[in-house]
Amino acid sequence: MYPIWEVPHLTAGMVIGLIATFHILPSHLSTGAMWLNVWFERKAYQENRPELLDFVKRYSKLLLIFAYVFGSLSGVGIWFATTVAAPRAISGLIHNYVWGWAAEWCFFMIEVAGIYVYVYTFDKVDRKTHLNIGWVFAFASWTTMIIIVGILTFMLTPGVWPQTGKFFDGFFNQTYWPQLLMRTSAMFAIAGAWAVLVASRLKDERARASVVRTASLWGLGGLALAGVFLLWYRAVLPPPAQADLAALLRPGLKTGLIVPPALTALYFAFLGARPRAASFWPGLLAIVMIFAGIFSFERTRELIRKPYVIPGYMFSNQIIGNDLPAKGISSELPKINAEGILKFDPFVPPELREVTDANRLRAGRMIALIECSSCHSLETGGIRPLPVFIKRLGAASPDDVSTVIDSLGAMPFMPGFSGTDAEKKALAAYLASIAK
Amino acid sequence: MDVVTMLKGMTDPMGIPFYPIAFEVLGVLTFALHILLVNVSLGAVALAVYGRLKGGARWERLSGAMAKAGTAAVSGAIVVGVAPLLFVQVLYDPFWYASNVLSAAWVIGFVFVMMLGYGSLYVFYFGKTKSSSAWGVLSFSCFLLAGAIMHVLNYQMLLPERWAGWYEKLGGAVVSGTTLHAFSLPRFLHFIVPSFAVGGVFLLLYSWYFAARPDFDADYLGWTARLGARLAFWATAAEALVGVWWLVAIPKDLHFTSDPVFLLAAALGVVLLALLWRLSRDPRPQRLALHAAGGVFAVVLAMAAAREVLRRLYVGRFGYTVREHPVHLDLGSTALFLGTFVLGVSVLSWLLAVAFQSGRVAGAWEAGPRMRAWGKLSLGLLAAWIVLVAGFGVFVTLRNGGF
Repeated sequence: MYPIWEVPHLTAGMVIGLIATFHILPSHLSTGAMWLNVWFERKAYQENRPELLDFVKRYSKLLLIFAYVFGSLSGVGIWFATTVAAPRAISGLIHNYVWGWAAEWCFFMIEVAGIYVYVYTFDKVDRKTHLNIGWVFAFASWTTMIIIVGILTFMLTPGVWPQTGKFFDGFFNQTYWPQLLMRTSAMFAIAGAWAVLVASRLKDERARASVVRTASLWGLGGLALAGVFLLWYRAVLPPPAQADLAALLRPGLKTGLIVPPALTALYFAFLGARPRAASFWPGLLAIVMIFAGIFSFERTRELIRKPYVIPGYMFSNQIIGNDLPAKGISSELPKINAEGILKFDPFVPPELREVTDANRLRAGRMIALIECSSCHSLETGGIRPLPVFIKRLGAASPDDVSTVIDSLGAMPFMPGFSGTDAEKKALAAYLASIAK
Repeated sequence: MDVVTMLKGMTDPMGIPFYPIAFEVLGVLTFALHILLVNVSLGAVALAVYGRLKGGARWERLSGAMAKAGTAAVSGAIVVGVAPLLFVQVLYDPFWYASNVLSAAWVIGFVFVMMLGYGSLYVFYFGKTKSSSAWGVLSFSCFLLAGAIMHVLNYQMLLPERWAGWYEKLGGAVVSGTTLHAFSLPRFLHFIVPSFAVGGVFLLLYSWYFAARPDFDADYLGWTARLGARLAFWATAAEALVGVWWLVAIPKDLHFTSDPVFLLAAALGVVLLALLWRLSRDPRPQRLALHAAGGVFAVVLAMAAAREVLRRLYVGRFGYTVREHPVHLDLGSTALFLGTFVLGVSVLSWLLAVAFQSGRVAGAWEAGPRMRAWGKLSLGLLAAWIVLVAGFGVFVTLRNGGF
């Protein structure tokens, strides 16, 4: 185990969530934009419409700066946030999927070189070569999605990997195809929304209308297909995830999944019919809408993984809760329950390793930090605040809280408590003290 | 709990899909490329800011070119940096993760500092005026701070005997991650000072590359080359002194200075210094620009290998080796990487070849039949990769129970 990083109110887990959600905007722009771009570039050459190239140049500059400054750095940011918020989880993923990430990195290299060469060789290299560069970028960029979706879906549905331990058995799992197709569709919608925004600034009316109409249709088509694949994705979710969905999908999140994409679809449909009506601020609002939709989806995806971070292997508090014979790994629970979490975690300060009357509350807080704080705020405000939850359950005394702790394992989305009886009492005493 | 037992307990039980030497070699190679690009970035941005502040036709022209090069080099540094970061987490997971969590807020801060630095660099680049120099200064400062954070994370990881002390406080644990616990100035400088040397060699390459362009003024190019050669020599000389300072600071019981890899790296460094000294007195040093660049690459690669040796020595104090993880051979995913790597090198080379050839002519450039065929091949390879992987994916899905 590792030291703990506590983020008051927000929780460390939410730091990952926020950065990850932001990352979707530039990353899906990156994977989708060039398809639209080369389509217009080809059209401009074939139909001899140089005014369209004005759009292509602006759009690729947006791609260069937004996707390759904020996109690549927020991508690194997800990794860094996971490193400090869930080091054992990211370590497990990396040790299993290192070659996948290394392969994805090869495509990152092509992407980065590709976008610079594409942007800086406009009017410099011949048209065929320039289009070729664009296509290379578009393909390479999409392949990064083909790879990362395998790892993302593994975290919810590892397929037969727990039995075989083999890379591809976990990679091509039951939610892989619907999620790949859904994200692929969504990337066209995101690319379309950005294209509308860029086109709204074009001076040439004909070019503006042309781009807005096509981009809206791409956007509308992308959203419609993403909706269809979302239904497929939902249908293949395993029973525990379905149970989580039923228990945890609050009305706000549900609304977020449906309303913003629906409004964006209406906006695209309107622009498809009246492309000249495109303007900057509604265009920007459409991107905010898409952001809200993505945020809701990504939050839901996180929720339905619970109580695991790697299903059938590691709980969301990073305790290994199952045997993994294919890798020769044993569950840590027997040892933790026998010796205690405070002795199991090497970073627990020596004076807290044994629960005593003098250190009970502090030991309890240490346990809460280790086992609860990655998802729950320990303050009265913030994300899933434990003091509020405890109060809501009417657990006033340490004994009441102890009963609540005993029942955790019965909740489909919560890992059970791990540790000795004395530790459970210490945790209960601490939780009761902060719920007062 | 003693450190040896602690590290054993922290090591990821998942194992690794191939022999550790492969990850180690890839880690060294990609780190060398990464740090070179970091140095190009810092060197280019420094020259760009200095040039804009100094003013005058030549400096302004150079400043614009360096700002543009800087934006691309930063992107390169970020993307290439992903690889060594991946491999360090494969082989040295307990060290890397513990060090990061102990300074977690700074790890997150790193990302935003980089965004600010990179965003500012673009503002500076597009600004073109003297007053926008402040953005360049901000950018450079952000990059330095990001470098300092990365240095701390890499240094803290080598000191597991101190982790518990950093984490404990009276009555509990420090869980805010807001402290940077260990900083070694000579080690940090050893990574930063070369930026000016690499920046100098970059100027030599710049001069050599554009010499083929009739629209580039020979006087200007000659001036940049001489400037680059002088900068490269003096910065490398300063780097040698910093290197000695750092060597003195390394614990003696590691016996790093008698390691053959270190001795090779140091010897190559001396050869490079001699070459750069010669170039600094040459009226047309751009003639040997490729030699200088090759020399820098050789030295950085050897230093990166020496750095890995040193890391082995540090962690070896606690009985930890890179062979700590069980190897569960996974030939399928290994083949996926190798195939993708070969494809990547081919496609990337085509892109760089297009950039290289087109930039060397004034006006428009037309691809010859070979370049055109290579471009089509690149696209074909990418399409083939997608078809193969998707086909294999369908096969695996059907074998494991269908859609």
